[in-house]
Amino acid sequence: MAMLLRWSCQFKKGGEVPTPLEIIRKKRAEAINRIISKGYLSSKRVYVGMATCEIAAGSIEVMEVFQEAIRSGLSDVYLSQKGCAGRCNLEPTVEVVEEGKIPLKYGLVTKEKAKEIIERHLKKGEVIKEWLIK
Amino acid sequence: MPVRFNITLCDGPSCIHKRSKEIVSTIEGELKKHGLSGKVGINLSGCLGICGKGPVMIINPGYTIYGAFTEEDIPEIIQQHILKKKPVTRFIIDEDHLYNRFFRVFGDVNFFGKQMRIALRNCGIIDPENIDDYISLRGYEAMAKVLTDMSPEKVISEIKKSGLRGRGGAGFPTGIKWELTAKEKSDEKYVICNADEGDPGAFMDRSAIEGDPHTIVEGMVIAGFAIGAKKGVVYIRAEYPLAVKRIKKAIADARKDGFLGENILGSNFNFDIEVRLGAGAFVCGEETALILSIEGHRGMPRPRPPFPSVSGLFGKPTLINNVETWANIPVIILDGADWFSSLGTEKSKGTKVFALAGKVKNTGLVEVPMGTTLRQIIYNIGGGIPGDKKFKAVQTGGPSGGCLSEEYLDTKIDYESLAKVGSIMGSGGMIVIDEDSCMVNIAKFFLEFTQNESCGKCTPCREGTKRMLEILTRITEGKGAEEDIDKLQRLGNMIKKASLCGLGQSAPNPVLSTIKNFRAEYEEHVRNKRCRAGVCQHLLVYEITDKCAGCAACKKACPAEAISGAPKAKHVIDINKCVKCGACFKVCKFNAIKKS
Repeated sequence: MAMLLRWSCQFKKGGEVPTPLEIIRKKRAEAINRIISKGYLSSKRVYVGMATCEIAAGSIEVMEVFQEAIRSGLSDVYLSQKGCAGRCNLEPTVEVVEEGKIPLKYGLVTKEKAKEIIERHLKKGEVIKEWLIK
Repeated sequence: MPVRFNITLCDGPSCIHKRSKEIVSTIEGELKKHGLSGKVGINLSGCLGICGKGPVMIINPGYTIYGAFTEEDIPEIIQQHILKKKPVTRFIIDEDHLYNRFFRVFGDVNFFGKQMRIALRNCGIIDPENIDDYISLRGYEAMAKVLTDMSPEKVISEIKKSGLRGRGGAGFPTGIKWELTAKEKSDEKYVICNADEGDPGAFMDRSAIEGDPHTIVEGMVIAGFAIGAKKGVVYIRAEYPLAVKRIKKAIADARKDGFLGENILGSNFNFDIEVRLGAGAFVCGEETALILSIEGHRGMPRPRPPFPSVSGLFGKPTLINNVETWANIPVIILDGADWFSSLGTEKSKGTKVFALAGKVKNTGLVEVPMGTTLRQIIYNIGGGIPGDKKFKAVQTGGPSGGCLSEEYLDTKIDYESLAKVGSIMGSGGMIVIDEDSCMVNIAKFFLEFTQNESCGKCTPCREGTKRMLEILTRITEGKGAEEDIDKLQRLGNMIKKASLCGLGQSAPNPVLSTIKNFRAEYEEHVRNKRCRAGVCQHLLVYEITDKCAGCAACKKACPAEAISGAPKAKHVIDINKCVKCGACFKVCKFNAIKKS
């Protein structure tokens, strides 16, 4: 988050017409606020890879498992999709980010593995080491 | 209440070498001294990929990265940072360029730590369908900077100074292209994004658009401002439905937020982008064919000059750049041309994205600085060849490129060095080939592709590739004659000289480069009728060895009834009847069938 906030600056006061740079700074602050209001500051953020290659490997199913978990009460988790991160042979990938820790990335995630990630990692905080991409 | 801190120490091999293990106990001792045990968390992480500055530790919150300190410095860091909340600036690694965020954002350092991501800086980090994600990571700031305090001339001189060259393959200096288009006087000009990616096995542009579509939009607006254009077109193939959907959504969102349309961000600059779909013809990646295709004509290259910068889309001056080139533009504007030109080699600046595929452990999309060697990409990032097989060749540049053998592995990747050894940079396909592949067959595969995709305008390309393919087919069927190899070379060189566009000029490259680097394999096919990789079916000889138990499974499987033998006795294959389908080889449970 610090990284996001570092770039947001105060909007210039006074009657002058704002320059494009000032407008973009204001827009950035607004964008960051919108992201935060969607739960970005949750203790865990989960990113599911959703590029053509990941979808071909079955990431939509994996995404649905996470969406379903959130619908049925999993809280303090921010779920988002992301583009291709380049690990073609290990897709679908799921990344779990906790503020202040090194992001963890699971490879070859299936529906079943996703359910277990939710139970063990997201709910109990247990990292499933053998599924991590090393 | 004291703030709870988290210290993460890098536990990679090079940091361990620099005593990271001892540092952990020093930190624990120091914390105990101040009564902070339990209030400050200590974690170990895998390699963070900043090995040059080890030992490395990160203190959170705040993501302060410390590097190159020793055990003696720990008390000071703990006292200053943890107790007084004043970071010790002299050890801080502060390299918050857009490009190197990845070691804080990707956990996967073995793969990403060796890369440098500029064009793909947001790929795999942000939600590509959410404009807020892009804006929050300095998105559209480069555009705002250009509109606020840069003149078109300044933008062009910055791009020129950066040394950025076209990433589509030819490597024409981007700044000069911009300048030429800017110089033309016309009531209307166009900016085109060439997203017609057709190389077999390449997916750089697709991933870039799917992962971060807004950077393309931003790059195009900046170019529009620099050359005085009001309209942009993204030409993308209809075979990429998700990329089409995401770029369309990006354009619509950008329009809604005032980044496209009239009076962008309160300035008096107007610019808008539309998407045109291509039907997937390889030749439409050539700029003049692409322009004709947008106009609604059959996609066929035309002679240049006039170049598109003079007479392009609808006869107007047109600037056309590749997806990856566009993705570099915002970074150059924000981080500066001086910084960008410090990356890479003398003549090739910046980074290049490669789609690493074929016989390599970590297939995937990688972005490395120019000047990285092929060996580093294949072995350090790609993890080498799976299954202990031997490396045979690497094919760069897709169907227009060449195959390089092991002796060229230490070639530095840039436009000139690759051209010098007989391949090309191309748009970034990189296919690794191991000993199980037949080079003649690979050359045939690529030629089959270009022969199919030839638009048919130039006779040498249309007829020549067809004839070359016939010769290659003959060779792989064991009917090759001694003079065929020279014939291929002669024909190839002629097609290269006599074709109008890049397709024909480069189509013979896979054949010519394999003949150059793997001539022995061609000669084996022609003289000995032998394929050492066991790929060319017609050259295989199947034989039953003494391991045969006479189970008759092969006899039943053989569609040509070429196998005979009494039950429980060794069977025999009649070579004259054998159609070399390999069915017997597959069914034999005793490994008794020898293929050679």
